[in-house]
Amino acid sequence: MKILFVSGKGGVGKSTVAATLALRAARAGQRTLLVELGNRSFFGLAFRKSFTSVPAPWREGVDIALWDGNSCLREYALHLLKSETLYRLFFENAVSRSLIQVAPGLAELSILGKITSGPPRNVGPRLPYDTLVVDAFSSGHFLALIRAPLGFAEAVRFGPMGSESRDIVKILRDPTICRYCFVTLPESLPVQETAELVASFRELVPDVPPEICLNRWLPTARVATPDDGDRDDFMHDLARRRASEREAEARFASLRTWVAPWILETDFEKTVLQLAGTVAPPHGDAGEVKP
Amino acid sequence: MSDFLKDAKIVVCMGTGGVGKTTIAAGLAALFARRGLKVLVLTVDPSKRLKQSLGLDESGEPRRVELAVPGELWGAVVNPQKTFDDFVRRAAERAPEAEKILQNRLYRQLSTTLSGSQEFTALENLLAAEKSGRFDLIVLDTPPAHHAFEFLQAPHKLASIFNEGVAKWFRAPEGRGLLSGLFQTGTKQTLKILESLTGAEFMGQLSEFFAQIHSWQGQLESRAVESQRLLVRPTTAFLLITAFDEAKFQEGEVFAREIRKGGYNLAGLVINRAHPLWFQNEVAPLETELQRDFRQYYEARRAKIGELKRRLGTGFEVIEVPEQTVDIDSPAEIWEFSKKLEAALPAREDA
Repeated sequence: MKILFVSGKGGVGKSTVAATLALRAARAGQRTLLVELGNRSFFGLAFRKSFTSVPAPWREGVDIALWDGNSCLREYALHLLKSETLYRLFFENAVSRSLIQVAPGLAELSILGKITSGPPRNVGPRLPYDTLVVDAFSSGHFLALIRAPLGFAEAVRFGPMGSESRDIVKILRDPTICRYCFVTLPESLPVQETAELVASFRELVPDVPPEICLNRWLPTARVATPDDGDRDDFMHDLARRRASEREAEARFASLRTWVAPWILETDFEKTVLQLAGTVAPPHGDAGEVKP
Repeated sequence: MSDFLKDAKIVVCMGTGGVGKTTIAAGLAALFARRGLKVLVLTVDPSKRLKQSLGLDESGEPRRVELAVPGELWGAVVNPQKTFDDFVRRAAERAPEAEKILQNRLYRQLSTTLSGSQEFTALENLLAAEKSGRFDLIVLDTPPAHHAFEFLQAPHKLASIFNEGVAKWFRAPEGRGLLSGLFQTGTKQTLKILESLTGAEFMGQLSEFFAQIHSWQGQLESRAVESQRLLVRPTTAFLLITAFDEAKFQEGEVFAREIRKGGYNLAGLVINRAHPLWFQNEVAPLETELQRDFRQYYEARRAKIGELKRRLGTGFEVIEVPEQTVDIDSPAEIWEFSKKLEAALPAREDA
């Protein structure tokens, strides 16, 4: 199974890019699961459907699931304890529920445990997919997610949690399994935050260079140079945007980048469909891994 | 001059990450300072440049922003670790006990990463600023949230984590081992399961942590209640900041209903970067094909905003803030931005 994580600053279009990449993978024949994290479904609102922790179809062979720390931990504990009674005793207890919230990183660890539960770990219920596209948290929270198994691997040297954590870290650092795509817009704050995200991420996962999705780029052929007009007019707006695009491209020149053009469409699903027909990540679709 | 937020003593800016909460909060604060008020903007996690240009530091103390206005503009950055440490020092009965907690490895992690702790520290700073009586208006920027609800649920969530029930589990009676004080087999079993999942080492740290916090958990709960009381005051106004995004609009609608049901004063929905400034200009006689495409796109967006307004009904304002053409990272630009914000505010009804 291949795993593609999508992250970036809040509001840059992570979900749009994740859904687009999932759709492309499915169209290329991959059995694809698009995973959103948390306890409220964004895709449910956007596609006017209802998604839960159990994968349900969206369209064209893409399934969607909503995973949060508690449900993942529950599943993992049930798998490890192998006893419904013990599991009930533990989880249907208000005190242990608050306890789970206290343990730093436990929710994040459980989520990653579930995401990486396929081969070679083969832990828990089998996920019948070739590709997982994870619409992951925004930058800071995403780094906390990746740090969780590293932290546990260090802090808990003995016991099942320590060894599970070490296995998860191995998978996250395996370029034949995992890919990471960070989305940015041609604006100074997203570019700055993405650059910081890349730097912190490379310390945690040195073996898998992330790729950068340059989102909402202007269609190149159609942009002319501005005449002398009002500083708030359309042409100057475009020129400013173009300049920001060039700056962003220069900033990420050492990484693999690809452009997702600006789709002038207000409906989320229509945007994704148009984008899936337009973009072609030059380094392969989600299921392919070309290190 | 718009009379929007005229009676507010506190304005809480809420919204998901990346929508521009901090910018809107700073702009609003500057707007009211221009009108002659003494205003404090409490920011959480501002960009480095914004922080530097406003002359703010990590101390958490309010700093006067260099801006020639009739009133005064003050800014402070919420420092979660310092706020939490100060809280523990105040709450602990004895000083050595406080120091012991502050040294605990788990505490160092928990105090800033625990779900709800950022929100708690933001509210602590709000309470302190309000009590000081130094300001006519406090504008609070809230921590980046995946969902806007998180902020309102946070204090309660944090207090419930530290409730007496949980702490009691881990407090060994004097002179006895960790689990020996527990008589209920069910509870003992549960802890054993937790230990088999996490390992003895982790459990050791956890129990040490809980053994030490009993002195301040009551105070944590009372602070949560106190901050809730502040938030439901009629002079505390909530603003929901959102970007243009149809699915986010639906979240906003749900949120607007919830927040009103909760008894909070939702004053408005701010749609940040609703359209570029050029969109407000008259249509030029010779528009390029590209500009026409963009204009149609922004017109479609405006129609969606109109639908949203109709669905939300009356009782609060929907404010469309145009996209700024410069990065807002100096006091002068905040001043400029506050003027544009003023222009976007609803006109006074009797005007």
